[in-house]
Amino acid sequence: MTMKRLVWWAALAVMAPAAYADMEDTPSPEQIKRGAALYAQHCAACHGPRMADPEGAFDLRKFPPDQRSRFINSVTNGKNSMPPWGGLFKREEIDSLWAYVVAGEKK
Amino acid sequence: MKLKLIAVAAGLACAFAAQAQTLQDLVRDGNGGSTDNVLTYGMGYHQQRYSALKQINKSTVKRLVPVWSLSMTNEVGEQGQPMVYNGVMYAANVQRVVAVDVATGRQLWEYETNWDKNAARVVCCGLSNRGVAVFDGKVFVATLDAHIVGLDAKTGKQLWKSKVAEWKEGYSITSAPTVANGVLMTGMTGGEYGVRGFVAGYDPQTGKELWRRFTTAGPGEKGHETWPNDDSYKRGGGSTWITGSYDPELDLTYWGTSNGGPWGANWRPGDNLWVASVIAIRPKTGEIVWHYQWTPAETYDFDGNNENVLADMTIGGQKRKVLMHADRNGFLYVLDRTNGKLIAGNAYVPVNWAKPRIDPALGRVEETDVAKRLRAGEKVEVQPRWTGGKNWFPMAYNPNTQKLYFPVKHETSIYQINKEMPAYKAGERYTGVTNTTKDRDPAEAWGYYAAFDPMTAKRAWEVPQKEFPMWSGSLVTAGGIVFSGKLTGEFVAFDEETGRELWKFQTGSGVTSQPITFTHKGRQYVSVLSGLGGGTSARRETSGKVQRGGSLWTFALMD
Repeated sequence: MTMKRLVWWAALAVMAPAAYADMEDTPSPEQIKRGAALYAQHCAACHGPRMADPEGAFDLRKFPPDQRSRFINSVTNGKNSMPPWGGLFKREEIDSLWAYVVAGEKK
Repeated sequence: MKLKLIAVAAGLACAFAAQAQTLQDLVRDGNGGSTDNVLTYGMGYHQQRYSALKQINKSTVKRLVPVWSLSMTNEVGEQGQPMVYNGVMYAANVQRVVAVDVATGRQLWEYETNWDKNAARVVCCGLSNRGVAVFDGKVFVATLDAHIVGLDAKTGKQLWKSKVAEWKEGYSITSAPTVANGVLMTGMTGGEYGVRGFVAGYDPQTGKELWRRFTTAGPGEKGHETWPNDDSYKRGGGSTWITGSYDPELDLTYWGTSNGGPWGANWRPGDNLWVASVIAIRPKTGEIVWHYQWTPAETYDFDGNNENVLADMTIGGQKRKVLMHADRNGFLYVLDRTNGKLIAGNAYVPVNWAKPRIDPALGRVEETDVAKRLRAGEKVEVQPRWTGGKNWFPMAYNPNTQKLYFPVKHETSIYQINKEMPAYKAGERYTGVTNTTKDRDPAEAWGYYAAFDPMTAKRAWEVPQKEFPMWSGSLVTAGGIVFSGKLTGEFVAFDEETGRELWKFQTGSGVTSQPITFTHKGRQYVSVLSGLGGGTSARRETSGKVQRGGSLWTFALMD
């Protein structure tokens, strides 16, 4: 293997997770649906049914869609009055919630 | 001889110090006992929150100033009532208990409750704690993850810790414990998570559980026939999240019980005793001596936990032993507390789910067409909103005027029972309804602060609250003053006769707690916790307008 090739492979290895993350950002309708169901069961009480009546909790309709890691961190570890959910949700469930939040509710 | 006398005197002093607060001290608190102390939740077992002190009165209150303030290092809200014994104040929030010198505001010790932070996800309405109990040289506090702890009042050292229930099954505790007839009693919460409610009695010396009285009637118990013939009573709610009052002569404690589980009653047909009720419990045994159900077949999230205030009231020229209660469901009740019979029940805010006056001969609310349509699955507007005409913050009762003082909210919900029965999973929400708030007419007041006649629910006066509703407990004094607090941070004094605002002080965060008054070295003090949080229905509106952050304030007249 030439030095040039080695660098190429190393670069690919670094890029792969980023590429994978990008793929996750294009969720399937099923994933959004799963997120909506989880939201209705666990999140709607504070953030409002269908994200529409959040009272004082964070208004998820305004969550910046480019801040996925912030969302995952807040859900997993909790923030201010929000409890940590990392003990209940699996990672793919938090991903589904994120998919639902980014997709938004139909008016 | 002299030495012997000294030894006896020293022995007596030790015995006195060791015994500290006695059961008799607790009985006399707010009932002829020393005004230097506040030893019971509600400033007396009766929970009247009335003080005969009048150094601070209508003419002097303008000289009321803060004498000290202590940070509570807490951003999730203050709901507690401080206690005072022998010049030391004990205050709690969900994070910690502190002991403070009442003269200087200097902290003497701190105990961090260190609960499992994951337990926050089984708490519906804010991370709250409403205070401690004090008895026999000890301070007792419950933790959010459903434990109860006994502390040494002098040092804050933990003497024992007992698990009351498993938070992973939806149980938590936000209420202050109480000691009645030598038994340490605690309630619990979790009515949104499929719990089976209970009150439990503990040995204050060791933390050993003495009894546990479930609030949903099980097989073989009278009342079980009000449940369907299955195991729905095991997830039927009826939590007990506000401290019971106590009549030492009758030896009965009075506990309110919460909404049923799931919220939608269509999956648990029947009245569902003892949900949304008051139960009279014998403290030594846990026996339920009588009950009265505020909301039969409860389906509105109308928790029946609001405080039960005891008084010996003159009704029609006769002295009656009564219990007063302003329920979330919009009705103000007067019961005979010897037997639980209804004396009066009237709507104190606009109510549309039931007829506004309860016929004493019938003894129970009569539902309207709104309730029928709701139970049939229609989406309907319900008054009051599920948070109630009044929520948990306790009212004050002046035995001289026979009036109650508390803030009310005029709000409407849009409420529908879901078509599908919710699946039960331990520690997860179990409600099965869809509920939102109807937009308010901004021209209308959000709520009122008012003085009520308990027998008619008529208002002697009312002060409209336009910007925000109030969400604080009250205190009334012989000085003609009612103290309460606002979400915008003002601690206020109203004229008891007119509702006119006589004095206010900005505490820096929302006041959603329970003020007290007491004396120290002949001087009258007033104390209150400040700190926005909990499940206030004004979170949306206060966001960006009121800062969080807990603090404990103490006021006295400027010399």
